[in-house]
This record gives sequence, structure tokens and C-alpha cells, in this order.
Amino acid sequence: MQFFFEVLIGGLLSGIMYSLVALGFVLIYKASGVFNFAQGAMVYLAALSVVGCMEKGAPLWLALILAFAVMTLFGIATEKFVLRKLVNQPPIALFMATIGLAFFVEGLAPMVFGSDPRALDLGIVDEPIESILESAGMVISKFDLVAAGVAAVLVTSLALFFQYTRIGRALRAVADDHQAALSIGIPLQHIWAIVWGVAGFVALVAGMLWGARNGVQFALTFTALKALPVLILGGFTSVPGAIVGGLIIGASEKLAEIYIPPVMQSLFGGNFGGIEGWFPYVLALLFLLVRPEGLFGERHIDRV
Amino acid sequence: MNMKLETLVIDPPAPTRKIGGVILDLQNISLRFGGVKALTDISFDIREHEIRAIIGPNGAGKSSMLNVINGVYHPQEGRIVFRGQERRQMEPHMAATQGIARTFQNIALFKGMTVLDNIMTGRITKMKSTFVEHALWFGRARQEELAHRRKAEEVIDFLEIQHIRKTPVGRLPYGLQKRVELGRALAAEPSMLLLDEPMAGMNVEEKQDMCRFILDVNDQFGTTIVLIEHDMGVVMDISDRVVVLDYGKKIGDGVPDEVKNNEEVIKAYLGAGH
Ligand SMILES: Nc1ncnc2c1ncn2[C@@H]1O[C@H](COP(=O)(O)OP(=O)(O)O)[C@@H](O)[C@H]1O
Ligand SMILES: [Mg+2]
Repeated sequence: MQFFFEVLIGGLLSGIMYSLVALGFVLIYKASGVFNFAQGAMVYLAALSVVGCMEKGAPLWLALILAFAVMTLFGIATEKFVLRKLVNQPPIALFMATIGLAFFVEGLAPMVFGSDPRALDLGIVDEPIESILESAGMVISKFDLVAAGVAAVLVTSLALFFQYTRIGRALRAVADDHQAALSIGIPLQHIWAIVWGVAGFVALVAGMLWGARNGVQFALTFTALKALPVLILGGFTSVPGAIVGGLIIGASEKLAEIYIPPVMQSLFGGNFGGIEGWFPYVLALLFLLVRPEGLFGERHIDRV
Repeated sequence: MNMKLETLVIDPPAPTRKIGGVILDLQNISLRFGGVKALTDISFDIREHEIRAIIGPNGAGKSSMLNVINGVYHPQEGRIVFRGQERRQMEPHMAATQGIARTFQNIALFKGMTVLDNIMTGRITKMKSTFVEHALWFGRARQEELAHRRKAEEVIDFLEIQHIRKTPVGRLPYGLQKRVELGRALAAEPSMLLLDEPMAGMNVEEKQDMCRFILDVNDQFGTTIVLIEHDMGVVMDISDRVVVLDYGKKIGDGVPDEVKNNEEVIKAYLGAGH
């Protein structure tokens, strides 16, 4: 039982990191009705900016500020040079634009900051918390706990921001209908710039946490793929959905990894390792069949 | 379009209403989309507090005209003088801050939101409190939210849609959606209201309601109304002046009786096979 909880908690903690990436998608999906293919590239860009600046001699805090500046500029530039031209175009045009954006960033960022994989040290050690190990006998990583804490704070404050502020209401309006939003005086451009800026900030935090855990390398762009099942579970338009979806995916993939292989082995024989890799997608697929709008999503899905 | 004049029984505009001076002057407006000439050298004006109808067959350029007024389309030629000031290039979201509200030919509501929330969005440009105040539900933010909420409720009462205030608009029948869209526009307390076919697809009873609301808005709040409508009976009954477009050109302009007897207008309608 103790082991079960250890796995469960580890899963939930890593799940919050998925929530974080999913959140970036949700923000942009809400504002522009488009699946932002470039979200993974943004995580990569953010992490690269930080290590790049640190290599040039900047301390961590300065590197973070500079990286935030990079992400903000990226958001504003995206709005100005890409999105603004595409107002009132079908969502598929926006989607294609984000694919272009992804390749652009994935190509340009390594040219500026170097392409070889690097470690990122945030000064938080990845070792078991002793007090928990002694008292409960469970291995809970300190890094995981801090990362989850950071992610939780960020996710919660964003959820509140978009639920209860004027900008949040404007954002929901823009997400629903561009023309109508303009007609009631919402400056589409500002909203988009804000949202892409915030999504850039979320990407920065995700890039830090994932980069510190797995190294800053091109594979960071694939964190985006990890967010897909989370989005399907939570719904593309729901901030709380991204949180709950991330927790479910994180916990269930770790539990599946531990508990499914022995059962399968006894039934069919053979080796059933690596379930973690595909289990979330199967879960998402099943979910898609039962509740395509996600746990918290709005029922109309007319934009893809 | 059939010229049915007898279907609707509508009170004539209240005589107390006073029509003011020119509030919007459109001079020699031409608008092209690539090779398509949507509007060609069109001039007319709109007076304060009047109900000004724009009519014409489909594709005549009526909606384009509304979009020009609203700053969504920028004409290649012509001058627009609004409240005595020539308008420079205008961003589409600025019409709202200048007191111009509108509804759309194809309903453009925020489908995921309730009726009340939709109407609240109409007040978005009037909200002043900052994010921090908002986040902490601080004095000013709180009072502000409540004041806006009251205004929204007034609009809801005015349009007699209390019973659906918490319903997501996507679930409402078409006629009611049109009414909610009008409500969102009214919530902004506009001085000018642009209505693009507000009665299209409605039955006689719904049309009567809508006519009554339009007349009441005009009468009670003095709102200037620019109305695109196909139902000739309605147009002739409630408008003060009518401008007629055909193939992007102006072919008639005047009080309803003048327009009704204008040779070119009659020809356009018969010729277009309506
Ligand atoms: N955004 C646009 N892009 C290209 N052509 C347009 C656009 N808007 C309107 N048009 C064209 O302008 C002409 C007038 O259209 P519209 O103003 O919608 O007419 P109406 O509202 O009188 O039916 C039509 O030929 C239409 O195809
Ligand atoms: Mg039209």
C-alpha cells in the first residue's frame, strides 16, 4: 500500500508538469481558437535562452529575466507578423501558421544559442526528501515537489486571472467570435499579444522545470506531445481541465507502468515494459470516444 | 423580396422624437475587394436620433456599407465625417469606444456564454478597474462589477428576456438569439446602433416584437439607428429616411414615400426578380 502511494504521489507530481505544458495550449486555444503547434518549440526556445545566456556569463536570475524578455518579444512578434494578418481566416490557416512558426523556432533557436544538449542547474537537488523517507518510508523527490509547487502556483494564479478579470472575459469573447469581439470594442491585437506573452511565460517555466530534469535539448519540443492526452482529457478550453487532466495522466501512467505488466505477463507471457509511453494516448483515445469535449470542455467543437 | 405592406401592424414612431443634425456624413465612398466593386461613389448622411434604413437586393453592398461605418472595412476612396471630424484610418475595435454598436447579419454571439454574460461583454469598454483591484475583488472593482451588472439587468428587463438570463445562448432559438445580440449592443449604451437584418428569418410575431424594441430604443434613449432590412413593410413603417443600393451604387434616397415611388428603385426590385 505504501508503495502504491509512493507511485501515486510521484505520478501526481509529474502530472502537474504536464498540466503546465497543457496550460500553454489552453491559453492560446481559448484566445485564437487554434491548436498551437509551436508550443513545444516555445518551451525549447525558453530553455535554450536561459542556458544560452548563462553560458555567456549571466547569473541564473538575469538569464531568467532575459529569457522572459525573449519570450515576450516572441509573443508580440508572433501577433504582429503572423496572427494580425490572419484575422477572420479559417482556423486551419492559423494552425498551419503555427506549424510554420514551430519549424522556424526549432531552426533558429539552436543557431543563436547552440544545439548541443546541456544541463540546466536550478540549484534544487533531485533526491528523496529524508523526513518523508524516514517517517513514511516513501521516496518522494525534492525536485519533483518543488517543481510541482511552482507549477501549482502558476496554474492557480492563471486560472484565477482568466476566470475573474476583465481580460479574462475579453479573452473568452475573443475565443468565441473575433468579429463580435471587435464590435464590442475588444482590441483583438492586445489580447493576442497578452495571451502569447503569457503562453511564452508558461513555456519558460515549463522549459526550466523540464530542462532541469531531462537536460536542455531538442527533445524538449516533444513535451508538447505529452500535453495532447492531457488536453483531450481536460478539454481544450478549460484551465481547470488542464490541471485535472495533467494529474490524471501523470498518476495513471505511473500506476499503469507498475501494475499492468505483471497482469499482462501472467496472462500472455512476454515483456510488457514501457507502458508509460503509450498508456496516456490509449486513455485519451478511450476518453475521446466517450466524451469528446473533455471533462471540462465546452460542448461545441467546431474549431480544430 | 416581396413588398408586403400589410403583414405588420406597428405603432408609428412617437411624435415626441426630435431629429437632430447630421452626425455621420459619408462622402463619395468607394470600396473594392480585388476586382469586386462592393461600393461605388456613395454619398449619404445620417442624422442624430433618426432611423435610417439601407435597403437593396442581395449583394447590393448594404453590409459592406455598415462595415465601413463601423471601421471594419476601409474604403479606397471617400471621406467619412463623424460628429464633425473627418475620420482617419480606424481600428475595428474603436467603433465601440466612439459609441457605435452593432449586430450582425449572421448572429455573432459568444456561444459558450450565458445570456447575461453575453450582455455583460457589451460593457467591457466601460470597465475601468485594474487587474489587481479585480483580482482582489477590491472596492472599486467590486462596485464597478455591480454597477455593470445592474445595467445589464436593465437591458434584460427592457428586452423581456429575464426568463433566459442564465441560459447558454447556443441553446436558444434563432429569434431569441437575435434579441440577445441586440441586448449586447444596447448594453454598451451606444449613441448609434447598426442593425444588419435584425428580423431576417423571424415570424410575424417575432418581427413585431423586434420592431417595437427598435422603436423603443430610438424613442427612449434617442439612439440613432441604421437599419438594414428586407421586409419592405417594416422599413417603410419605421424608418425616417431610406437609402437604396443596387450593385454597389446608390439609386435612391429619401423619406419612405419618395423611395417607394422612385422609378429606378421599383425597376431594381422588379429587375432583380424579387
Ligand atoms: N470581405 C469581403 N471580401 C470579398 N468580397 C466581399 C467581402 N464583403 C463583401 N464582399 C462583396 O461585396 C459585395 C457586396 O456584399 P454585401 O455588402 O455583403 O451585400 P449585401 O449585404 O447588400 O447583401 C458582394 O459582391 C460581396 O461578395
Ligand atoms: Mg448583407
